[in-house]
Amino acid sequence: MEKYLRDRTAIAVFILPTLLLFTIVVFNPILQTFYRSMFEWDGLSEAQFIFFDNFTRLFQDRLFYDSMYNGLLFAAVLVVLQIGIGTFLVLAVTDSAIKYRKFLRISYFIPVVLSITVACQLWLSVYNGEYGLLNKFFETLGISYRQDWLNSEKGAIFAIAVVNAWQYMGYHFAILLAAVKSIPEQYFEAARIDGAGKVRAHLSITLPLLVEAYRFCFVLAITGGLNAFANMFIMTGGGPGTATYTLTYMMYRSAFRVNEFGYGCASATMLVVQCLIATIIINKLFGRESVTY
Amino acid sequence: MKKYLSLLAILMLGVVVIFTVTACGANQQDDSSGATEKTDGINGQSDKKQEEPVKLRIYAQYADEDTKAPYDYAVEALKKEMPNVELELDVQAQDDGQKLKTYAATGNLPDIFQSGLDIINTFKKSDNILVLDEYAKKTGFIDKMHPSAMNTLYADDGHIYAFPYAGNELILLFYNKEIFEQNDVKVPTTYDELLTAVKDFRSKGVTPLSIFAKEKWPCVGLYDIFATRLEPEGIKKLDQGKAKASEEAYKQGAERIIELVKAGLLPKGATNLNYDQAAALFHQGKAAMFINGQWEIEASTKALGDKVDWMYYPAHDAASVEKTKYAFSGSGGPGGYAVSPHTKDKELAVEVAAFMSLKYAECKYTRRSNPILATRVDLPIEQPYPAMMEKLSVDIPKITSTTAFAWGLSNPKFKAALEDATQRLLTGSYSADDFVKDLDDVIERINK
Repeated sequence: MEKYLRDRTAIAVFILPTLLLFTIVVFNPILQTFYRSMFEWDGLSEAQFIFFDNFTRLFQDRLFYDSMYNGLLFAAVLVVLQIGIGTFLVLAVTDSAIKYRKFLRISYFIPVVLSITVACQLWLSVYNGEYGLLNKFFETLGISYRQDWLNSEKGAIFAIAVVNAWQYMGYHFAILLAAVKSIPEQYFEAARIDGAGKVRAHLSITLPLLVEAYRFCFVLAITGGLNAFANMFIMTGGGPGTATYTLTYMMYRSAFRVNEFGYGCASATMLVVQCLIATIIINKLFGRESVTY
Repeated sequence: MKKYLSLLAILMLGVVVIFTVTACGANQQDDSSGATEKTDGINGQSDKKQEEPVKLRIYAQYADEDTKAPYDYAVEALKKEMPNVELELDVQAQDDGQKLKTYAATGNLPDIFQSGLDIINTFKKSDNILVLDEYAKKTGFIDKMHPSAMNTLYADDGHIYAFPYAGNELILLFYNKEIFEQNDVKVPTTYDELLTAVKDFRSKGVTPLSIFAKEKWPCVGLYDIFATRLEPEGIKKLDQGKAKASEEAYKQGAERIIELVKAGLLPKGATNLNYDQAAALFHQGKAAMFINGQWEIEASTKALGDKVDWMYYPAHDAASVEKTKYAFSGSGGPGGYAVSPHTKDKELAVEVAAFMSLKYAECKYTRRSNPILATRVDLPIEQPYPAMMEKLSVDIPKITSTTAFAWGLSNPKFKAALEDATQRLLTGSYSADDFVKDLDDVIERINK
């Protein structure tokens, strides 16, 4: 093995297929998107090179800032609900005092395997302004809080983000659960001997040792929020008006409704840049030395 | 090691460059081949080929009774007329033409496809649609057109790109007479009466107006109804860049919708209702009014019988009731069955496309009691017109102006902006000033 590891040609040959695949499938489309963002192009006719005009226009477009803001809100909801509640549930199902833990573990993961269309249709019924379960629930409790959940310009994005958070929380739950399970039991035993309660033990041992898992979960949640598309496409069509647009939706609108592929590519380029910046920041924040005991 | 990795990186970059360059090159090649195909024109080879079995791919609407029945009727007729031609149906997706544009971009256009103004405008620039001027004369299609529907045949540049079947369709405001009578509400003739009716219905727990605003064109239609009370050309004038949204007619249209929405015009979640949900509210007697095209007449008559009728749009004020009574929203535009310039046998494909359009219209007239067609039909109708269609057919010659449906707008940028802005109006939280600003920004950019 060591002989192969010293052989640079062998290393190059072994990584070549993966590198080639990555280049073709990931790197090439990103470069093409950037290249095409410098054209005025309807997707079919001959493209006209306009250099950075699409970006200049993008930075003056109110829809761009609204879409970016919605993406950030969406990401924030995902972080709070998926990672926050995910952590809470993980700590709950790893506690031996909780009954039916296996059943709960499976239950939390079930929404992940549902089709996104099914999940959205389900929640469309829940959010229905006239007959929806949520309004009926408030009505049953005698609370006067009837809302037009998806028809609200300010509230619709939160309503949609909750659907995504609900569906994929199980995924983050699984990642965090695996990380908690990998913490040696003797750390907790030592904490108990030292007189630490459950909360103290989790704060001092569990959470610090989950940093690597959190890093991964944050990257997934934030980039997932920034480029959200399917939920709003199915549930509101980006509406009312443009109230639930994200950059991905803006890209779709530019390319397929307005026939401005170049402008759509500029939106996509900004989305890639945003996701890249978010990933770098997350890595910086979580990049300190791993906690060891 | 670093040296090897650097070499690898350079190699990968090379791969990317090659991919990028070849992708662009392929596109240009496709475009030029398209242009060559288009200039070929009629090649006179079809007589011989007509006798051989031919399979043509057709991209057509086939979603509900109103689209399935005419298509099936036309296909049956085609089997008798041209038994050697077999049609392979590719069902049209409700996706703003995305699938069809992808077909065009990948050089995989169906031989015949249904097209609207957006597709015509996009495809003619990239030579993906056959110019049918000569064929329309040769097949005799032009002679069969209704003189009043020639606007559905010719595009803005004076050329023919599709064989139309639909005529100048209109947006109608349907209402349930029984609900109005039971609640002692007057059928509104002016805006003020409409506002009163909305408040009355809302106070009695009845939904005043049902609208399937998840599709954005009915939102545009509703807005156009109010805009046309002061400016008969409505949204068409904005689309053509001849007017600004800041003008009184357009700003007031927005203000009136906002006022009505705040008074409770719409059901909860209106911007999320699809046709089935919105129509169910009206057909089941839960909503007093319903907005749709005149093609709704059949479904509403079936559901509500003689309880349903359509009303003239409520006028700006009492003085202008008669003056604006026949200023309708909606109209037709160039569209119908178009032909790919890349099809193997252009003459045959054109002949089939023209035949399908004629038969499509024939079915709509004889079997679906729809006289609003692009082409003349000499056959008798199989069932009498519903009362609402009778009333409309009497009024059609009196129409003083029409505008356009959202899909008939010529500029996709303006269309998208108008659709988004009018849908936002239905939330009641979007101000008329913002509406005007957003639209005028787009209009200004388009006309720059």
